[in-house]
Amino acid sequence: MNAVGFAWRSLVRQPARAALGVLGVAAVGALLFDMLLLSNGLVISMRGLLDSTGFDLRVTATDALPGQGPLVPNAIDRTHDIARLASVRSAVALRFANALVLAGEPRGVYTSLQGVAASGPSHPWTILRGRDIAPDRAEIVVNENTATRARLTPGSRVMLRASCNDGPEALPPVPFDVSGIAQFPFDTPNGTTVAMSLEMLARACGGNESNQADVIMVASQESAGPSVAVADVARLLPELHVMSNAEAVNRFERGGFTYFRQISTVLTAVTLSFAVLLITVLLTVSINQRLGEIAALRALGFSRWRVVADVFCESVLIVGGGGLLSLPAGGLLALALDRILKRIPGIPADVHFFVFEPSALQVHVLLLAGTAVVAALYPIRVVASLPIAATLRDEVVG
Amino acid sequence: MNTTESRTEPRTGTRTENSEGRMVNGRIVEATHISRIFPMPAGPVTAVADVTLEIAPADHIAIRGPSGCGKSTLLHMLGCVEPPTAGTLLFRGDDVTTLSDRKRSLLRLRQIGFVFQRFFLLPMLTAAENIELPQSEAKVPKAERRQRTKELLEYVGLTARADHRPSELSGGEMQRVAIARALANKPGLLLADEPTGELDRATGEQIASLLDRVNADGTALVIVTHDPALAERSTRILSMRDGRIDSEAASI
Repeated sequence: MNAVGFAWRSLVRQPARAALGVLGVAAVGALLFDMLLLSNGLVISMRGLLDSTGFDLRVTATDALPGQGPLVPNAIDRTHDIARLASVRSAVALRFANALVLAGEPRGVYTSLQGVAASGPSHPWTILRGRDIAPDRAEIVVNENTATRARLTPGSRVMLRASCNDGPEALPPVPFDVSGIAQFPFDTPNGTTVAMSLEMLARACGGNESNQADVIMVASQESAGPSVAVADVARLLPELHVMSNAEAVNRFERGGFTYFRQISTVLTAVTLSFAVLLITVLLTVSINQRLGEIAALRALGFSRWRVVADVFCESVLIVGGGGLLSLPAGGLLALALDRILKRIPGIPADVHFFVFEPSALQVHVLLLAGTAVVAALYPIRVVASLPIAATLRDEVVG
Repeated sequence: MNTTESRTEPRTGTRTENSEGRMVNGRIVEATHISRIFPMPAGPVTAVADVTLEIAPADHIAIRGPSGCGKSTLLHMLGCVEPPTAGTLLFRGDDVTTLSDRKRSLLRLRQIGFVFQRFFLLPMLTAAENIELPQSEAKVPKAERRQRTKELLEYVGLTARADHRPSELSGGEMQRVAIARALANKPGLLLADEPTGELDRATGEQIASLLDRVNADGTALVIVTHDPALAERSTRILSMRDGRIDSEAASI
């Protein structure tokens, strides 16, 4: 019987202890797995979300986030200038405002309003039903939440009162036709969004907002790639700030997202320490219960390495079993935690805090393997330095 | 029973090769002036002092004496579990004090069997698996060790109990399994520390008979015991006091 078989039989001999160890490691491993998913999840998710819009560059007036800084002046002309660059496939100017849709609920439905001016036919949303807006018509697309709450369908006509500045406004309501129902990538689960052409947004804003945008989103040519496009746009419009998706993600990582990584690192260290202590205690108690047997085996000629290997394999089996269980447990826990965290206001529906990536699994396995080794160190020391004769004497006297 | 004082010499002695190929006499153990001193906080304690002893292949030796006189320590030294702190201990011509821990383990595995007062069978293994374990450690091929285990179970009269775990066996049966386990790798020397200490008189008698048979079949036997009846079954009886061999008597 080799060391693995021997360790297995030792565990089966004390099923309660083995179950305690395996379940303990499974619980700790699940937390560890989740911390690893959390450490990069938001970054990966945000990267995916940015890429899913089909635009990989963002041009703003300053390095402030879109919607939080000054507007890009002369946005429509600049959008067309950018779109003419060889490294650029298309560009779209985007202006953010708010609007009250006077339909459905008694006081209407408050929505986020987007105005777009595109160099081509593509817009940063996906049409679900109906058709896209025509730039020169008083048409809007709305998301599902808006359509439901304002009871709108493609072809509906609705009055919309825009709110284009931070200060108090009393703009008159303007009639619009609903051309389609669309999905917006940055929508929150309960968010209500309306989009129209930049020209129509200027009209809804009382004619005060013509040709200004919060951001110009740019899609680079596949042959050129985003870095070439960033350089071209920066050369063309040196007074503006250009950022690729990768740079935006890096900025998120250096900013608010870093808290998640720090939290995950601290919790990972805590959970690993707990796992080490748990297994060390279980193994040490188990070994102390059978010191006589171990001493007898040594007297019968079992080498020091063999009894050490038995203990080590026991640790590996406990951690291995718990580690395997920790994956589905961690997955389920991640789903539940993700659902809770996504209730934070303003989080886009498509953003996830816990995202699986193969490297997380690799790190998980490595950390658990390290745990098995570290947890076995003390019990191994006890077994390796066990005085055979003295232990046999003590066992008889005891 | 007649006893006579004698020197601690073996009854037989032929020349054989040791592990290094050197020709040695047929003695299994040659202990010359061996001592074992334990360092203690209150000062060193001498457990065994200046013992000279030889064990030959057919010896049947009993070591007796009051508690704490050094019987078990001497047994452990003879079994190469712990080396003497002074003196020379040769096992089949090899100086035990110069062997590494690994080599001493190998020597015990292949040439020495141990029987303990408390059996120390592994409770998660069956009787057969307990007997097979040392053979497995000695890398005996599977078929061979299965056969050997079967023979040993038959030898100790426990064929029907092969698949029983220690918790399902009586004390006497456990000790018989322990004896079979000690014999698994065909050792030349079997050491037993109070082998009947945990057993009633009748069961102890059965174990004593089994040990006699082991010795009669060619395995040298050294038994540490408080039991005069068990000691008197031996051909040499060593009496110990204060770590020294007080006297040796030959039993008929």
